[in-house]
Amino acid sequence: MQHVSKRFDATQALEDVSLTLYPGEVHALIGENGAGKSTLIKIMTGVHQPDSGTILLEGAPVHIRNSQEAQTLGIAAIYQEPMVFPDLNVAENIFISHRNRGAVVNWGRLHRDAEAVLRQLDVHLDVRMPARGLTLAAQQAVEIAKAISLNVRVLIMDEPTASLSAHEVDQLFRIIESLRNQGVAILFIGHRMEEVFRIADRITVLRDGKLISSRTRVEIADLPAQREQVIREMVGREVGDFFAKTEAPRGNLLMSVRDLGKTGVFSGVNFDIYEGEVLGFAGLIGARRTDVGLALFGIEPADSGAILFDGKPVEIKTPRHAMQLGIAYVTEDRRGLGLTLPMSIATNITLPTLRRYLNALGLIRRGAEDRTAEEYRKRLMIRTPSVHLEVGKLSGGNQQKVMLSKWLNARPRLLILDEPTRGIDVRAKAEVHHIISDLAAQGLGIILISSDLPEVLAMSDRVLVMREGRQMGVFTRNEATQETVMTAAMGQHEPTITDTEAARL
Amino acid sequence: MQSRFSFLRRWEGLLLILLVFVVVYNALSTPGYLTTANWINLFQLSIEKIIVALIMTFIIINAEIDLSVASVMGLSACTMGFLYMGGMPMEWAALMGLLAGVAAGLFNSFWIGVVGLPSLVVTLSGLIGYRGLAYLLVEDRSIGNFPAWFNRLGQQPLIGPFPLAMIVFFVLLVFAIIILQYSGFGRYVYVIGNSKDVARYAGVRVQRTKMILFVASSTVAALAGLLYAARLGAVRGDIATGFELDIITMVLLGGVSIFGGSGSLWGVLLSVLIILNLRNGMGLANLSGHVQTGVIGVLLILSVLAPNLASSVRASWNRHRARTLEAGKTG
Repeated sequence: MQHVSKRFDATQALEDVSLTLYPGEVHALIGENGAGKSTLIKIMTGVHQPDSGTILLEGAPVHIRNSQEAQTLGIAAIYQEPMVFPDLNVAENIFISHRNRGAVVNWGRLHRDAEAVLRQLDVHLDVRMPARGLTLAAQQAVEIAKAISLNVRVLIMDEPTASLSAHEVDQLFRIIESLRNQGVAILFIGHRMEEVFRIADRITVLRDGKLISSRTRVEIADLPAQREQVIREMVGREVGDFFAKTEAPRGNLLMSVRDLGKTGVFSGVNFDIYEGEVLGFAGLIGARRTDVGLALFGIEPADSGAILFDGKPVEIKTPRHAMQLGIAYVTEDRRGLGLTLPMSIATNITLPTLRRYLNALGLIRRGAEDRTAEEYRKRLMIRTPSVHLEVGKLSGGNQQKVMLSKWLNARPRLLILDEPTRGIDVRAKAEVHHIISDLAAQGLGIILISSDLPEVLAMSDRVLVMREGRQMGVFTRNEATQETVMTAAMGQHEPTITDTEAARL
Repeated sequence: MQSRFSFLRRWEGLLLILLVFVVVYNALSTPGYLTTANWINLFQLSIEKIIVALIMTFIIINAEIDLSVASVMGLSACTMGFLYMGGMPMEWAALMGLLAGVAAGLFNSFWIGVVGLPSLVVTLSGLIGYRGLAYLLVEDRSIGNFPAWFNRLGQQPLIGPFPLAMIVFFVLLVFAIIILQYSGFGRYVYVIGNSKDVARYAGVRVQRTKMILFVASSTVAALAGLLYAARLGAVRGDIATGFELDIITMVLLGGVSIFGGSGSLWGVLLSVLIILNLRNGMGLANLSGHVQTGVIGVLLILSVLAPNLASSVRASWNRHRARTLEAGKTG
């Protein structure tokens, strides 16, 4: 791509960006949200047209007018959320875009071909299985297989690891290696630095629509100073403390959970949480950490075990009940469950606490509502021209802050954060970490569910590890290392009585 | 420039312009059009549907539908007629008619709110079932000879030039606007319509809200059924048959999304005014009822297309511009 620019109304999304992808090279593109990464992808896949500049494929200028043409040229993209058809099986999904199938499907050949493509990637999947039951990682493998079947030459991967567990990331990286060896040019967009440094041959930084730097891995490898430099270039400012949990004195016992279970989902969950404490929930995808969160918030109540809140036994059956106790749950699914995107920031913030903003007649006091929204906009630094803007128009990080505001305004005593930094940029991530640390210092108990292991380790006072619905152990800050937590999460560590005791520590 | 006319991109803005156009055309072509009497007459011809459209707006914004409203109108009117014929005093018979509507609403609410069935299915059953009950009550008779006071309420002005149904409409309109656009309950209606999961995860009692709406819907429909009976001076089993579609048309034409979550009573009010005046104008221009219905149908399709239409026109213009710019550079 040479000198590509693109402007949307008032924003210059891309300005004079030139980028070269080579066959057999993994080219990582990093930058904050809004840096122009998505626009670049959309131009490469024909969704948008550049205002100026040209795209050359093997030296010849091409005009990619739509995604169909991109596909014909051998350019394919896969995204964070795989786009498979849940009711079709694996083989059908792989060959969904093939036109010359004729009127009658030759199932035998279809399945054999699908198996051949998957073998090429060293992926073992039953091609007759419907896509619905597949894990996210397997769905991504299917999407990659789909691209291969179309003779992909340029594969764009937009944050493919955002929803994957560490083990699945390893699998994905093996697939990427194999593609690289087959001479595919790969553009890898990522937020997790260690992954980028691990997989990329070349690393390019975008900021505010401009290309800031482009380096090979050799220039950066094993040079912490160089890595910090890359992060600085992304955010355009010095990164101080990346993870920010400060020591806070542990307060009173807030909640005790004893042998909590839900049939067929999770069982044997035991922990205590104190005021001012961050309790991390670590585990791989499918560890059922979210289900424990939902049980504590009354969305999907538990059916066995006991919960003591302030020393009193409680049964949490509805979210309202949980909220009355002072429990708030900030979902991992921002768009589906956390925010009503077409409605305003202010509307979203006051939703759980709307009763406070009603006058005697049940009418909303808009002034009070706006004041609250403004207060949180300042306090959490939500970057928006107005609190009346639709939430859907904000970047992921700012949406996350709106969701936090919404629940902080409920003045909770126990805050359950489910993947609070997934899919948000480095700066917003650091800000969220600061907020968590501040809240703990103010005496909130915080349950931090996160698949980002360094984050859990840095932010938590204690770490509870789950695996497939079972509690594998609770580690103190000193005990918890990448190795101990990962070993437990992968099932090398069976729960013992000492863990139950550790839970009470 | 762009911002001054930006309201045009909203469907309500287009409705307003269309309304002004229709009213000016009618006023110029028909003497006596702009008189109070004519306007009251216009409203009075569809007043029962308009009243029900107010509550239907809540239901559709909530991402639900109530197909049973017209049958509930029939049920309440026929219950009243049946009991009156059986010797019950008119005022009591009317009250029982209203209660029949409340009962139908509770029945709908139970299946939708407690059991969790889709409202489309439940109220479609209601559409058939309540109509069946109405026929059971009055068979194929026409029940009339209501007390004079009752017919007067339906047909004569009550306060100033306004008959009872108009006054009911104004009062309900004010209440509906305050509740939907300014109250906490109205906020919940919109949020649930946008995403009932988001509402549930915020501790909003989703099912309870829906149940309140469906009881309110049937109650208002029952009231409208009684007003209709009073205006006609008689009830039959087929009274108000098919009204539900006209009612839903009024709401959707007003820019309320069939998927829920957006739209306003202001838009519905505009749409009602347009439908009334358009029909009136086309009637005066000697266009048949079928043509009038066709025109309304085209408008309805446009109302659904409008938001997408504007953005797709803009997108294709941008593509066109990009191509010509590019051609200019290379050429």
